[in-house]
Amino acid sequence: MIYRIRSKNAWAASQHDRVLIRRRGTAAVGVAVEGSDWKEVMSIASGPSAMERDLRLDFFRGLALFCIFIDHLPNNVLAEFTFQSVMFSDAAEVFILISGYTAGIVYSRAMERQGFVIAGVRVYHRVWQLYVAHVFLFMMFIAMVAYTAGALNNSLYAEEFGAANFLDEPGVAVAKALTLQFQPAFMHILPLYIVLLAVLPFVLAGFRSWPGAMFFASFALWLAVQLDKRIALSAYPGPDGVWPFNPFAWQALFFLGAWLGWRGARGGVSWLRRRWLFCLAVGLSLAGFLIRFSWTAHEFYNPIPVLVSGKPLWMFLSKTDLGLLRFANVLAVALLVARLIHPQARFLASRAARPFIICGRNSLHIFCLGILLSVLGHLVLNEFFGGIPMQLAVSAAGVVIMISVAALMEWFAAAQGASRASALGAPTAGKGARR
Amino acid sequence: MTSAFLRYAIVLIAAAGMGVLSAPVGTFGQEHECPVPERFYTSEPLLTKTTKALTGGREVVIAVLGGASTVGLAAGGPGSAWPARLSSALAARFPSARIKVVNLAVARQTAKGAAERLVRDVLLLKPTLVIWETGTMEAVRGIDVDEFRETVQAGINELRAAGTEVVLMNMQFSRETDAMIQFGPYLIAMRELAEANDVPLFRRRGIMRHWAESDLLDLRARDDAKRRQLAAKLYDCIGRAMADFVTRGVPAAKAAASPESSR
Repeated sequence: MIYRIRSKNAWAASQHDRVLIRRRGTAAVGVAVEGSDWKEVMSIASGPSAMERDLRLDFFRGLALFCIFIDHLPNNVLAEFTFQSVMFSDAAEVFILISGYTAGIVYSRAMERQGFVIAGVRVYHRVWQLYVAHVFLFMMFIAMVAYTAGALNNSLYAEEFGAANFLDEPGVAVAKALTLQFQPAFMHILPLYIVLLAVLPFVLAGFRSWPGAMFFASFALWLAVQLDKRIALSAYPGPDGVWPFNPFAWQALFFLGAWLGWRGARGGVSWLRRRWLFCLAVGLSLAGFLIRFSWTAHEFYNPIPVLVSGKPLWMFLSKTDLGLLRFANVLAVALLVARLIHPQARFLASRAARPFIICGRNSLHIFCLGILLSVLGHLVLNEFFGGIPMQLAVSAAGVVIMISVAALMEWFAAAQGASRASALGAPTAGKGARR
Repeated sequence: MTSAFLRYAIVLIAAAGMGVLSAPVGTFGQEHECPVPERFYTSEPLLTKTTKALTGGREVVIAVLGGASTVGLAAGGPGSAWPARLSSALAARFPSARIKVVNLAVARQTAKGAAERLVRDVLLLKPTLVIWETGTMEAVRGIDVDEFRETVQAGINELRAAGTEVVLMNMQFSRETDAMIQFGPYLIAMRELAEANDVPLFRRRGIMRHWAESDLLDLRARDDAKRRQLAAKLYDCIGRAMADFVTRGVPAAKAAASPESSR
């Protein structure tokens, strides 16, 4: 029901751009939910004169998805060439920032058009999808544990592995996974995304009434986590387990993104175009790059010195608590990208960028697929080894599979959209004009 | 059941002991069955205090902290654990030195658990060198990696303040657990700890992976007896590799000892 409303709305909103949409293969009306979310992004992001979607969001989200997959493979030489080797942040920050921004655009718009309740239900529909995806991934994990447990109990690692509590009390482990408290390997981002999105409607409503206060509260909570590490969500197994991504810290990045998206739909934030801010971002990104890259280079070849020793920076580099340097670095780079790359830059619309774009556009499915592939990649790399050529081959195969599935989804969405369009006939002009 | 196990353990320990006592020095100088590539040894900092103790003729106490794989459970117990093998290998390399390796490992002990024992159990022995095998429990149980880093850092500080040198040892390599347990962040944390503190890091995981990759050790066991055999062999390899590792950290002491042992 809700779904229909939304699809029609998206449809109406982007009517007079149908040809353009088709050409870009995004006529996903009500099939891929992200697709339809995205169409709204496209139709509202840049005003009536330029009704094109912000391809940068798709591109970098796609890139982040590839990086997450590659970073998750064991001993993978390619992991030295992802975000994390050139900046303090990694793909997780990029993913959460872009997700926040997108959600900010889409749902703040929905809130204005459809009101708090409908927009809120839409958000929760999305939360539900994420939750189902999380449970699906957990099911895979359990299947693998069940499959390998026999061999492991007889292995060299029986004692060490046996300390994993989920073997002793599988019932508890399953229940804790359903409450998001048990987050096995590689299953940390979705729970974070779920809780952040669940709070989003209230934050967006807050933005509308007291933007300054919301902004400040979000930042203050992040700061409080930096000062007091006890502010965390407990996780299973206890007693001192915590969420690997502390939602109280990461909310700042997500809601900052949402705030930017919310403001972006209203003509943008003028002080973001200040010159000094740009210079600051250049400086930060450059410093982040030089320092982080010197660590990468040092790792590769020991005689290369590190520019700044890591130890004094550790407290600012926490991934769990989104340390200051990780936070600042991703924002600086995001500002540079926003300023230097046009939303419809020729490169982004080219064939070369298309694999990234389509993966970024179907991010939830491709994310889950990436997790599954990285687990399979582990098994392959640890069974057959094969050194660097094998690592490259497994990485490439995984990326190709991700792209193929994304292409399949795009194709299916386009086909569905076309048949739906012919069934609907020409929509009323009034709806489109009301925008 | 228990008595059979005990008997087995006693026989093993006795055999290990006899092996230590009776083995001619020359056999340990032979080429290893499980060689370790040079890249795992290069650019590790030297063990100056251990060198001084060895060259000064003082007794060198090496205390070992760790978990199940250091206790040697899979091979039947401490008698065939890698610290015992390290002890015999070092005895062969430094025949005139008095080197005592004390295995303080406890199965399923976290870094925090180990750190709490530093004053009570470890420093009491006045060790020259502490080899700290850690990180496994943290990865298996998903303990906060920042907290893990802080714990180990505090432990290193405490040991150093007491005048003890430290060597870190990371996790075991296994084919199967990797896809279920995320070791990556903990491995990185240990690398950073070693680098920041100028502490040698014995890359057990990489070394075991190399052995598995080059078919030197299969690391897979189908039944109990096989597992015990495999574990004994693995721990022997690790013990010797660690002896190589320590020996490279004390080049001056090695130079002093080599005129006797090379013959």
